[in-house]
Amino acid sequence: MADAGGTGPGRSLPSLVILAVTAVVLLGAVCWHLATLFLAVTPDNPVKSRYAHLINGHVYPEFPQGWQLFAPEPLHENVIVEARVRTAPDSGNSHTGQWANLTAHDVAAIRHHPVPSHAHQNMLRLAWNFYQNSHSRRDVPLGTRGILFAEYVKRIALQRVEGRRGGERVVAVQLRVTAKPVAPPRWSDRASSARSTRHRTLPWWSVKDEDRRGL
Amino acid sequence: MSIDHLTHPTVRPAAAPPASAVHGRWREAAARLVAFACEMHARYQCALFRIGLSGLVLAYLLREWPHRRVLYGDRSPWALDLAARLVAENHAFTVLTWSAGRWWFECVYHGAILVAALLMLGWRTRATSVLFMLAVLSLQNRNPLIGDGGDNVIGVMAIYLAFTRCGAVWSLDARRNRRDRRAGRVDRAGFVMWQILGVALLWVSDGFQGTAWAAVLWAFWACQGLWYAARRWSRGAWSRELLDAAATMLHNCAMLVIAAQVCLIYATAGWYKIQGTRWQDGSGLHYALHLDYFSPWPGLGSLLASHMLLIVLLGYGTVVVQVAFPFLLGYRRLKTALLGLMILEHAGIAVLLGLPFLSAAMVVCDAVFLPTALLKPSRRSSGSRPKR
Repeated sequence: MADAGGTGPGRSLPSLVILAVTAVVLLGAVCWHLATLFLAVTPDNPVKSRYAHLINGHVYPEFPQGWQLFAPEPLHENVIVEARVRTAPDSGNSHTGQWANLTAHDVAAIRHHPVPSHAHQNMLRLAWNFYQNSHSRRDVPLGTRGILFAEYVKRIALQRVEGRRGGERVVAVQLRVTAKPVAPPRWSDRASSARSTRHRTLPWWSVKDEDRRGL
Repeated sequence: MSIDHLTHPTVRPAAAPPASAVHGRWREAAARLVAFACEMHARYQCALFRIGLSGLVLAYLLREWPHRRVLYGDRSPWALDLAARLVAENHAFTVLTWSAGRWWFECVYHGAILVAALLMLGWRTRATSVLFMLAVLSLQNRNPLIGDGGDNVIGVMAIYLAFTRCGAVWSLDARRNRRDRRAGRVDRAGFVMWQILGVALLWVSDGFQGTAWAAVLWAFWACQGLWYAARRWSRGAWSRELLDAAATMLHNCAMLVIAAQVCLIYATAGWYKIQGTRWQDGSGLHYALHLDYFSPWPGLGSLLASHMLLIVLLGYGTVVVQVAFPFLLGYRRLKTALLGLMILEHAGIAVLLGLPFLSAAMVVCDAVFLPTALLKPSRRSSGSRPKR
């Protein structure tokens, strides 16, 4: 670093001025960018809340900072999503199918695969996360995103269940979600306070032809 | 430099006129700083980063090729109209909403494969690095709901990479430049490519509504045009040298941002883990190893998880290393060992948790900090210095 200025040809004053101004502008941009990123990952604080619109405007959508991987708590539940459909044959009597374990299908595809696909590892798992975060406990969507994410989850279920059924027209689909906590290790203090399995059954969602677009 | 005699004007007797002495001192300091800023830093690290990142994306796109239509294309449960509604709300960049035709999706997906391969080889990196960024963002923002931490890293880094001079070494560009210089040739194909890209950009310019992307892309294009103009018409090398210096400065800034971003990733992951009670009592890894979605080899995971000492030590070790990462980079010897440790850990995560792309992305990021001496032993004393 010390010899940086000694080598190379001397620059004329105009180029020096132009380059110095460029350097100041670039450094300013770098500082602004890094400061925004830093504030995006800090816990809530007064600076962050005052400049929230500036920070979010810069960080989203292209620089999201979701680095809390397995933190503060690692995932400690195995969430199992099951789906069943109601079909309406031409005769008129509707028929409710068996529960199909969509998660088990994903897990089987991941098992013994050195490079699991996002289609198995992320799609359903994250879709359920997004649904959960965008809906109240009573399945009321919070905002437009809630509506979009519900549609997404429904279409994932439809794609996977319908793919295995032949012919019959599906008129409704229902999801059931089971969250099984991972048992704490034997040597942990938590062993006694293990939480129990939670179930959640969603209402029937009616299926129209347009819900199947592209599937 | 002619101003060397003014290094310490203040300790001289009153002979030197104070005003010009101060002026000279300032000018020298500015010249030194500017020279430092315009010197290209981390060229090998950057080339390695380019090869790693584009190779990783190439591998990912090839791996997901059988699932491409379900993930990003016409058969996706995240239908194009759902994606378009989200994009209209958050103004994310994607070219895939421009047409619903399957041909368009296939063009973009296979174009992304091609661009990633070309960037890896270092072919016309000024253009391919920008196209690579556009391709990565287009696919990710078409379906942001399937991206994990690895995709997040790749998307952010692809943007930064477009601002670097990533083709300076270990690239077809470098080889072509060497040959052209030796033969005294002037490269014309690049200029033609620049014109074609300009026409293409003009064609699609109204597709970026609500975002600054059109301005960003035109700025890239205009700067490259300026560079051609300087080479073609300038008498003397003044404007050419100026543009080169400014581009190098931008490169240095981008490398600084990449390094800072990597530190931010590790620091965030580490500091937040400290707050979690399961990481505090050392059982964090136990839970991670028992998740169905992250256990491709359940036998191996259970075997590891059954050793209390190992789980606690590895869990604590992970947190300590992640928190310490930004602070240890200052110690050169320690840094290389630390990077080796990190790479080993990522290899373990890749296998045990079935997260090869996330792990590989972090290994590529770690590689930015490798010392130049390790990357290019014969050029130890050349201009490029290791990144911090």
